[in-house]
Amino acid sequence: MFFNSGLKKAMAVATVAATSAVMLTGCGGGGDKKTEVVKIGFIAPITGNNAALGVGMKNSADLAIKHANASGKYPYKFELVVADDAADPSTAVAAANKLITDKGIVAVGGHFNSGCALATAPVFHKNGMAMLVTAAIHPDITGKGYKEITRIITEAKAQNVYAGELAAKTWGVKTICLINDRTDYGKTNASQFGENAAKNGAQVLSDDGINVGQQDFSAVLTNIKAKNPDCVYFGGMATEAALIKRQMADLQMNCLFLSDSGIISDTFNKIAGPTAEGMIAFNIGKPLEDLPGGKKFMEDYAAAKYPEPYDNLGHFAYDTVMMLCDTIGKNKVGTDRKKAIEALRKAEYDGVLGKTSFDENGQTKNTLITTYISQGGKWVAYDKASIQVKDKKIAAK
Amino acid sequence: MTVDVLLQQFFNALGLGVMYALIAVGFTLFFGVIEVVNFAHGEVFMLGAFGAMVVGTAMAGAGVEAGSVTYLLAVLAIIIIVGALFGAALEKFIVAPMRGAPDIMTLLITLGASIVVREAVMIFFPDGRNPQPFPQMIQMDSFNIGGALIKPETIICIVISAILISMMYWIIEKTALGRYIRATAQDRQAALMMGVNANRVFIITLILGSVLGSVAGLMNGMSYGIIKFNMGFAASIKGFAAAVVGGLGNMYGAVVGGLLLGFLEIFVVSFLPNGSSYQELVAFLIVILCLVFRPSGLFGEKAYDKV
Repeated sequence: MFFNSGLKKAMAVATVAATSAVMLTGCGGGGDKKTEVVKIGFIAPITGNNAALGVGMKNSADLAIKHANASGKYPYKFELVVADDAADPSTAVAAANKLITDKGIVAVGGHFNSGCALATAPVFHKNGMAMLVTAAIHPDITGKGYKEITRIITEAKAQNVYAGELAAKTWGVKTICLINDRTDYGKTNASQFGENAAKNGAQVLSDDGINVGQQDFSAVLTNIKAKNPDCVYFGGMATEAALIKRQMADLQMNCLFLSDSGIISDTFNKIAGPTAEGMIAFNIGKPLEDLPGGKKFMEDYAAAKYPEPYDNLGHFAYDTVMMLCDTIGKNKVGTDRKKAIEALRKAEYDGVLGKTSFDENGQTKNTLITTYISQGGKWVAYDKASIQVKDKKIAAK
Repeated sequence: MTVDVLLQQFFNALGLGVMYALIAVGFTLFFGVIEVVNFAHGEVFMLGAFGAMVVGTAMAGAGVEAGSVTYLLAVLAIIIIVGALFGAALEKFIVAPMRGAPDIMTLLITLGASIVVREAVMIFFPDGRNPQPFPQMIQMDSFNIGGALIKPETIICIVISAILISMMYWIIEKTALGRYIRATAQDRQAALMMGVNANRVFIITLILGSVLGSVAGLMNGMSYGIIKFNMGFAASIKGFAAAVVGGLGNMYGAVVGGLLLGFLEIFVVSFLPNGSSYQELVAFLIVILCLVFRPSGLFGEKAYDKV
C-alpha cells in the first residue's frame, strides 16, 4: 500500500514534469515569450462624404496602437481592426456587427456621425461590447443610459449653449435664420443654438432643412436674404457649409454666419476659397496646439508619415484608442468584454485632450469649447484672430 | 414676396434648369436614336468637370490669366475632347457590343460602366474622395438686374446652353447629318435600306450627347465652385427625369423638362413654408403626376407597340 501510493505520487510528479516540459517547449519554440493579442475595434467613415475626417481618424487610431505597443507598459500586444461606417447608419450597424462577431475584439471606439453612433449604440448594448464614442456628439448617444456606451467628446449641447449665449449677449444678434442639413447632428445643433439664443433675447425668423449632397442653395438663401437677419446659423457639415458660404457671397449677404464643429476642417476652407474669410464655428476642446498633448501628437503624427492629414478629429481618435488600450492594459482585461465595460466606466485617462473620466451616463467630464474663425484660409482660435465680429469685417466677400 | 426676390428666384431657377436641360438632351438623343437608356451619361458630366478643373488649374499655374481667351479656349477644347472621347468609347466598348441584346442588358451595362468610372476617379484621382475646389474661370462681379443679383457664371451658362441647344436644333433639322439621325430614329431598317450608315450615326449621336453632358459638367463647376467624383449620379437622375417628363426621344421636350424641373425645385422652396426640406420630394412628385397623366411625356408621341 505504502509502496503503491509512493509510486502513484512519483508517477504524478513525472506526469506534471513532462507536461510542463511540453508546455515550455511549446512556448519557447518561437524564440521569445509570446504576449497575448488583444484586438481593439475602430469604426470611422473611411469612405463617403466624411472620408477625409474618417481617414485622419483611422490613421490616428493606428498611431495610438503603435504607441501603446511600443510603450511596454501593458501586458498585451494590441491590434487594431478598422471597420468603415461610410457615414451611413445602416453601414455602421453592419460594421458594428462585424466587429462584435470577432471574439478577439474586447472593445470598440470610433464614429464621427451621430446618426451612425445612434444606430450602433443599441447593437453594442445588446451584444455587451464596450463602445467609446470618439466624435459623435448627439446627446441621446449617451443619454439612453446604456452601460456599454461612453464618450470622449463633449456632447453637442455644450457648444450650442455657449454659442447661443455668445451670439445673442456678447455679439448683440437680434434676429436669426437657422439652416440644418436634416441629419440628427445638424438638426440638434441648429435647434439648440436657436433655443439658447432665444433665451438670451434673440428671435428665430426661420428654420430651413436642406439635403446632404445638395449643391444649389440659391432658393433658400434668397428667401433668407429677404428676411434680412443679423445672423445665419447652419447645423451640418463642411461641404454644405462651404457651398452656402459661397452662395451667400454671390447674393452679397453681409450677415454673420455661424456653424458647428462639423465644419471645422480644411475641406471647408478649400471649397469656400476666399469666401471662407470670417466664417465662425464652435468646437469642443481647445486648439490642438494648446492642448496638453497637442504638440507631441502633431510631431508624432508627422513622424509616422501617414499620407493623409489627421484632419480635425485625429487627436480625438488617438485618445479614444489610447484610453481603450490603457484601460484594458492596466486592468488586465484581456479579451473579457464584460470586464472591459466595467473598467472603462471607472477609467481615468490623461491624454492629448487632457483628463478624461466619465459621469453616470458615460459622458466625459472634460468640457472645453473654443470659438474658431476662418482667417486667411485657416481656422484660427477667435481670441487670437485679427478679425473680430465688432469690426464688422466678418461679412462675406 | 417682393419683385426683386421673385426675379432672383427666376434667375436661380433658369441657371439650374438649363443645366438639367443640357443633360436631358443627351438622354433623349440616345434614347431616340440608339434606343438606349445611357446611365453612364452622368459620368461624362463628372469627367467634363474634372477635365476643366485640371486644365484650368494647370493654365493658372502656367500664368495664363483666368477668364482670358486662351484660358477659356483651352478649357472648352478639353471639354469637347473629353465629351467626344467618352461618347466614342461608350459606343465602341459598351453600347455597340450589346446591340441586339435585350434593353435591360444595355441599361445594366451602362449602369456598370458608370459605377466603374465613378469609383476609378474616386480611387485614382489625387485626393479623389474629397470635394475638389473648381478654379474660378470668370473674374467679374455679379450683375444687378432689377434688384436681383446675377452671377456672370449664371449668365454664361444660360448663353452657352442657348447656343448649344440652337446648334443641336440646326444640326438635327437642317443638315444632312441631322436627316440621317432623324431617319435612324424613325425607322432604323428603312434608314439602312436607304444607305444611311447607322453605325456612323450611332457614334456621332453618342459624341454629340456626351459633349453636351461634358459642357453641363463645366457649367456645374463654374456655378458652384466645387466638384466631386459622385456628382454625376444626382445629375443623371435629374437629367433623366427631365428627359422623361419632356417625352423621351423628343429634344424640345427635354429642354422644357429640364427647365420645368429647375423651376419646380426653386419655386417649391420659394412658395412653400420650409419648402427646402421638400424640394426634391415635391419636384419628383410632380414628375410622377406628369407621367401618370401623360405617360409618354409632355411632348412624347403616343406610345404604341412596335409590330
